[in-house]
Amino acid sequence: MIDSRLRPFAVFGFESVHDTLAAEDVLRDAGIPAVTIPSPKELGELCGIALRVEPDAAAGAEAAFALAGAPARARASILDR
Amino acid sequence: MTEAAGVIYLDHGATSWPKPPEVIEAMATAMREQGANPGRGAYPMALAASRVVFESRRACADVLGVPDSRDLVFLAGCTEACNLMLKGLLEPGDRVVVSSMEHNAITRPLFLLSQQGVVVDVVQADSTGLIDVLDMERAVHAAPTKAVVCQHASNVTGAIQPIADLADIAHEMGALLLVDGAQGGGHLDVDLAGLEVDAYAVSGHKGFLGPQGVGLLYLRPGLDCRELTQGGTGGSSSEQDAQPTGRPERYEAGTPNTPGIAGLGAAARLLAVHGSEWRAEEQRLFRVLKGGLFAMPGVTVYGPALSEPCVPIVSITHDRIEPDRISFLLDRRAGVAVRAGLHCAPWAHRTIGTLQTGALRFGVGHGNTEQDIRTALAALAEVLA
Repeated sequence: MIDSRLRPFAVFGFESVHDTLAAEDVLRDAGIPAVTIPSPKELGELCGIALRVEPDAAAGAEAAFALAGAPARARASILDR
Repeated sequence: MTEAAGVIYLDHGATSWPKPPEVIEAMATAMREQGANPGRGAYPMALAASRVVFESRRACADVLGVPDSRDLVFLAGCTEACNLMLKGLLEPGDRVVVSSMEHNAITRPLFLLSQQGVVVDVVQADSTGLIDVLDMERAVHAAPTKAVVCQHASNVTGAIQPIADLADIAHEMGALLLVDGAQGGGHLDVDLAGLEVDAYAVSGHKGFLGPQGVGLLYLRPGLDCRELTQGGTGGSSSEQDAQPTGRPERYEAGTPNTPGIAGLGAAARLLAVHGSEWRAEEQRLFRVLKGGLFAMPGVTVYGPALSEPCVPIVSITHDRIEPDRISFLLDRRAGVAVRAGLHCAPWAHRTIGTLQTGALRFGVGHGNTEQDIRTALAALAEVLA
């Protein structure tokens, strides 16, 4: 059964918790809302944390990461609430 | 003087005391409100704990002149940091050149490594504890050398070693410069990137003013130092058997000391704001103390001349009374806390000629007042009369 409350999100994974928190700062400074979530299996990780952003903010997030010299290690799309 | 404790604390070479209230409060907050395991979850308290570690690392990097805070590793102390840089970088057959002023945190790991085939050659410092760069240069040129190992400042005489020159000497010959910075951080305005060291061990609880049980190791970018401990890091790659190679996680297996790291971060933030002012004041007080010691009959002062730069540590002996007796009497009569003995640095005491007698060490630091110094000098004069 499909949960009708699920919406698509972009999620970014990083090398480490340190890098994830640094990326969180990058998004905050860029004015891009993000939520820190447990890493979903779509990133290929079984634990750790990741950053979830709205789909239409994903490109801006990637640009912000690149500008900061801190690109994400992986990006995935997930359905979330 | 801390009236409540009735102590004139002049043992800052061992550890700083009292700790700034901000350090204590940060540690209490970490335990009270950020007590989850950092890096191990995405719920608010775990993220708060993760952020404590993250922000503390950045604050320490800022105050130590480290451009990328990932190059700073949190460890249990400076001794662990020294062990990691030595055992993680040296292999059987390597040759190291080391100063004769080193603390046991360096000499004991090197002794073990020498039994495993690392060649250890010692460069003698002068009687004040200072290494001559020409002596070091000759030693490094004498044979292929993997690393120069040297303290930043002596825990016995306060002598400050010429680290930037030693970096040039080491690098010119393709060697690493590994520094025990136990007495450097906090007491000196340390710029690690500027010094061009390859590894630098930092004590969190001495001049840095943080709590005991936490220290730092700086590893320059790209330096491949083997980790000594493997285990969980909480982050990515949990599915792999091999330890992650990314920094800082590679070197931080296991649950970190979050309260200690929180306290260290608070100390770093204080040093960023007040460090210059506090260093100037402790140097002023130290000169009052050292000048008074130089003027005292029967006292031999070990360390650079009063006009020479040094960290606020000095050791003395007396021509009639043993250091341990002076220490005991200063405590009993005036509540002056100082340390007699070899200060875990027999090499240094051999160098300055006090291996058989030991010496009495004074260490000045943040929180001391001029009245502390005047009282201690008066008490010493009375004890030695």
